[in-house]
Amino acid sequence: MAKLLLRRARTLLIVIPVIILVIIFWQARTLRSDNFVFYLPNASHVVPVQAIGHANYVPLLQVLNIVGKVQGLTAARDSLKIWLEDNQIEVRQDDKKVRIMKKNIKLSDPVRVDNGQWMVPLNFIEAALPQIIREPVVYRLGSRRAFIGDVRPSSFSFRLEPIPNGSRLILQFTDKVNLRTASRNGKWVIYLGEKPVQPLEQKFNFQDAYLANIQFDDQDGMPKLILTPSSDGLNFYPKLDDSGKTLMADMVKPAAAVAQQNPPVQTTPTPGAAAPPIVAPGAATPAAPSGPALPVVVLDAGHGAEDSGARGENGVLEKDIVAQLVARVRNALLATNKYRIVLTRVGDVNPSLDQRAATANGARPEVFITFHAGNLGIRAPRIVVYTYQPSSSATPSADDRSPGIFIPWATAQLSQLARSQQFAHALQEKFAGISGVTVSPPAVAPMRVLRSVNAPAVAVELGSLTTDVDSSPLTNPNFQEEISNAIVQALDDFKGRQS
Amino acid sequence: MTRRAGVIALAILLAVLAAGFVYLHLLTRRAKLEAPQHGEEVARTQLREAALQSPTGPTQNITLYFPSDDEGLLVPETRQISWATNDTDRIHQVLLALIDGSYQGLRRPLPPSTELRAAFLSSDGTAYLDFSSSALALFTPGIQSETLAVYSIVNSLAANIPSVKKVRILVQGQEVETLNGHADLGEDYAPDPTRNKPGS
Repeated sequence: MAKLLLRRARTLLIVIPVIILVIIFWQARTLRSDNFVFYLPNASHVVPVQAIGHANYVPLLQVLNIVGKVQGLTAARDSLKIWLEDNQIEVRQDDKKVRIMKKNIKLSDPVRVDNGQWMVPLNFIEAALPQIIREPVVYRLGSRRAFIGDVRPSSFSFRLEPIPNGSRLILQFTDKVNLRTASRNGKWVIYLGEKPVQPLEQKFNFQDAYLANIQFDDQDGMPKLILTPSSDGLNFYPKLDDSGKTLMADMVKPAAAVAQQNPPVQTTPTPGAAAPPIVAPGAATPAAPSGPALPVVVLDAGHGAEDSGARGENGVLEKDIVAQLVARVRNALLATNKYRIVLTRVGDVNPSLDQRAATANGARPEVFITFHAGNLGIRAPRIVVYTYQPSSSATPSADDRSPGIFIPWATAQLSQLARSQQFAHALQEKFAGISGVTVSPPAVAPMRVLRSVNAPAVAVELGSLTTDVDSSPLTNPNFQEEISNAIVQALDDFKGRQS
Repeated sequence: MTRRAGVIALAILLAVLAAGFVYLHLLTRRAKLEAPQHGEEVARTQLREAALQSPTGPTQNITLYFPSDDEGLLVPETRQISWATNDTDRIHQVLLALIDGSYQGLRRPLPPSTELRAAFLSSDGTAYLDFSSSALALFTPGIQSETLAVYSIVNSLAANIPSVKKVRILVQGQEVETLNGHADLGEDYAPDPTRNKPGS
């Protein structure tokens, strides 16, 4: 008897720890994650995908926020009611049914709550989303991207041809693309521009002596091809033809002498791209390699990362518009060869307002411009230029106007107000020359980001970016180009007056 | 018999362990879901609002300033209300009226679900307003919209309650950097009459 109990106890000693371990690591198993990309006519959004059990899930509220404006929600212990524009959506925990406007829709897997977040299976995107937004939703099962509304993704085909000492990759695109290439960790990355791309296949199978693998990836919202060379030391020469639709990339073994003095992978900028290259978010933008004597202009694209700022129709986000505009203004200013440009944020990140001011003050700029887009009423497009207004009635004192060695961080802008206002006037004059745009007289605002900038500083706000006004003029490349040119001219005027 | 007893004892032990884990799992999930409910706080605000709506003092015309996005200015609007007897309650009344919205269809300076957690008036004339964070998260961000929202509050309070000289806005009892990314909330705001629509 005792022997029997002992044997059972031994079995227990093994079984119980196993059960405990399984329970502990059950949660950890769901932590594996990657992303899902939603393409809208003017923007793309990335949401994390999480594996729970055997199915992949996306966070419900994040998805709904992309396709519309969540007006309100009621969360109970095991159910969630959401009001999205005219719709009412109801989900229950561990239930496969979703109730949309009193109609039941069955999902492939039950709704789950994970870490306090309501999660729906990927199947929600094809089964339920078209009922909610009444717009076409194109989603290919197994892929990690969906196209919502009037989005026509481009596609591509490729072939490989042998050339002396190498291989030639020929990529044929269905639409004109704006290419940029880079090399990362011994791989070549071809960024396919900002337009959505739907590859024909999930995996590309081929055999080539120089190219080991081609992989399409848009997990960060930027469509790109990642090429893995078969061996180190190959040179990569991509070239886009005049039509902008065919890319020829030669991968060749360098001649022995060349190989010795050159780094193994060369990155060549793509010539022949018709549109000016827009700095893709997330890509490093080094300062222009200009001489040290050039005056500095600091450009600040408002918001970033989780802080998307204002939101327009079709899911256009303030952070994306201003990043795009800053890239254009940067290009326009660099083209003059008169300025060095410093950006306060590169890619989709959100430095604090003090960090932005610190970047500016460290660069000792000629001017600081922060870009925003928000609600400016129904007259669109409209531009307002602001200078800093101290929030309390305190006017700059004599001490502020003639600073000593140390300038108080919190009130650094006060001593610069007069020059900031001059620059604001110069900008307003030039913006007024853009046709079809309503330009208000320079205004003042208690803008937090301007407060600590120790240089002439202005905020430029474009409008209207709200859900009830058509915001498409703001994303128009021509409009953004005109703004960029106006800024270049205004800076010339301002500098002329200073000297 | 003894062997069977052993097996039963084992089965019971395993069942108890499993039940314990399931129970703990449910408990943590419930704690996670129920945490954001501030039942007491909501009840207190509702009581306060009910008390404010009952007539407590003389009827008076008050002027509220609502943002006009097209003009970038504040437009005055008069309202007749039963004016409370003390200034702190009057601050609540003005803010509730602003949150209630304009009769001419001008923009609300604050989202309709805004909750004023507390208001104090210090001896130097600074009104401290403490808003809940949940409502401000729904606020439409923007330089003009935030500036007008702040001055809609400040100018409306100062116009109707002479003892209010300055306004300091807090969120969840804390000082915050900005209203929603733009307007500086790190300092006191004095009323700015130049933002009111001239001639009205």
